[in-house]
Amino acid sequence: MPGMRDVEIRRRWVEVAIALAVLAFSLPVIIGYSLMILSSFSEKMVTGLDPASFQPTIQNWVLLFQGRTALFAGYRVDIWRIVLSTLTVALGISALVTLVGSLTGYAISRMKFAGRKHLMAFLILLHAFPGSVLVVGVAFIYRLFLPPYQYVHTYSFFFVILARASIEIPMATWLMKGFFDMIPWEIEWSAIVDGASRFRVWWKILLPMIKPGVAAVMLFGFLAGWMDLIYVRTFLAEPTLAVFIEHNANAEYAYLPLVAAAGTLYLLPTILFFLFAQRLIFTITVSGVKG
Amino acid sequence: MKNNHFLSRFAGGLTSFLRSDASKFLAPALFLVIVFYVIPVGISAYMSFTPLKNWNIDRYATQFVGLENYWKLFYMVTHDPSMKAILLTTVVFVAVTLAVNVLGGLGLAIGTYFMSERAAGASQLLWLLPRMTPIAVYSLIWYYFFHPSNIGTINSVLMHLGLIDKPIDIGQGIIPWGPWSIIIFVNGLVGVSYGMIVFTSAISNIPKELVIAARVDGAGNWDITRKILVPLLKWHIIYVTTWQLLSLITTYDHIFLLVQWNLVNRDYGSTWSLYVYNTAFQAGETDQGLAAAAGVVLVLISAVLGLITLKLMGFERMIREPRGDI
Repeated sequence: MPGMRDVEIRRRWVEVAIALAVLAFSLPVIIGYSLMILSSFSEKMVTGLDPASFQPTIQNWVLLFQGRTALFAGYRVDIWRIVLSTLTVALGISALVTLVGSLTGYAISRMKFAGRKHLMAFLILLHAFPGSVLVVGVAFIYRLFLPPYQYVHTYSFFFVILARASIEIPMATWLMKGFFDMIPWEIEWSAIVDGASRFRVWWKILLPMIKPGVAAVMLFGFLAGWMDLIYVRTFLAEPTLAVFIEHNANAEYAYLPLVAAAGTLYLLPTILFFLFAQRLIFTITVSGVKG
Repeated sequence: MKNNHFLSRFAGGLTSFLRSDASKFLAPALFLVIVFYVIPVGISAYMSFTPLKNWNIDRYATQFVGLENYWKLFYMVTHDPSMKAILLTTVVFVAVTLAVNVLGGLGLAIGTYFMSERAAGASQLLWLLPRMTPIAVYSLIWYYFFHPSNIGTINSVLMHLGLIDKPIDIGQGIIPWGPWSIIIFVNGLVGVSYGMIVFTSAISNIPKELVIAARVDGAGNWDITRKILVPLLKWHIIYVTTWQLLSLITTYDHIFLLVQWNLVNRDYGSTWSLYVYNTAFQAGETDQGLAAAAGVVLVLISAVLGLITLKLMGFERMIREPRGDI
């Protein structure tokens, strides 16, 4: 977050020059994202320097919502079902991560227990654990508990949500701990003296006091689930937007502007968060990083 | 005797933990972490001693082949050209991306420090975007950007400028630096924001008087950066470097689709971590035993790095005793 500024005696043109340098440095990101979004509204892929390549149309979006994957042939897919699966996974992970993160964050912030120090070090180490190795072991567990065929579909959703949420728990715990640390201890102390249980204090007094923190962790969990590629493609018995894009970007019949539309649709929550929840985005990253 | 003492202490600690309030708060997290972290790692380690192939658990999971997978891995690293390429790619990728991330993050943090508040906020937000973008979309954006035909942005721009006549295949044609540049570029953009955030928050904690005094003495931006900001950020730079080193060694998801879509060469575009995933799940005949062995090597390396990072973070200082037990 932009913190303290420099003093006011710096020169204006220097500031502009630095801003231009940063802008030039950021250019690939700006170009990359704009071209994809523009292409989704164009008959051909928009390629950059050639303005003629942008021929406005909404056909790609119409095709996408009809579930067609190409102009003529291609597969028919139920795009709403795909969006719904993506949403289910993201919301499930968000809810689970928020619940577990706020329980654990509270305990680490407020309670003394044997092994507290080790648990915290362990959580930090987990955050940097090689994901590809983990997923191999997780796949073994997935197969070990595989239910009869008709339940696999439901099982895979539960499995993905639980397994993917576990990866985010260290980070969510760390975020929540930061928020609990900011509340003065005296507030819950009086409640505990009056005979309230720790659970009651946590649920009735503390959580309502850190609503922005809870919102930040929910958003963080949602994005983590929404953006996931590896877990959904490895375990989920139903395609999500990520899998849809994976299969259609370089397929023989691929109609790239349509894939660009799918990509833009998939990017929509991120864009909305960036437009309307900038403070939350900074909260997540800054407090997450600071620990 | 000593061992026994340790065990009884551990058991005592465990029972008192289970009786405490804290254990109820921690139970869900512990359950998830044990089932989806600790046990899978144990299983991976076990799998590295079995000949598990094609996920045929019934047939192979109970066979034991000792260190065979590790020997195979060692033999491949020393003899197999594509394994050599992957190892080399991993080293180059980690080293160069690390430099890009740390220097880029530092540059952005210092650059935005000298900018107006609004411009600084906007550029930082922009740099957070890659980190928050769905991985498939992010890969798709760069797939277009580096596409080997004339729809690729790079090719289109170069052709318009008259630098090339026909599209070039950067990721497959220019070995090894073509695919290397692409994977370094793609991951570099994601990683820069981490350093940027750590450095920005560290800079905002530097006493303003230092900068004002330097200004009064006539120091320019460059002097302030070189003589005040960078020296004061020394520890943050070391910390970001080790943490990013750790993340880069273990990352694979941002490269996965680029390889899958043939945008980059399979050997010179894969890192060790991606090799683990692809060997277990993607290759024609999957070999989980070998993948697990390669994975265990990765775990050992990152565990050592992780412990070093913890020391550097000043972990002991960070964990004040909690208030809240009566």
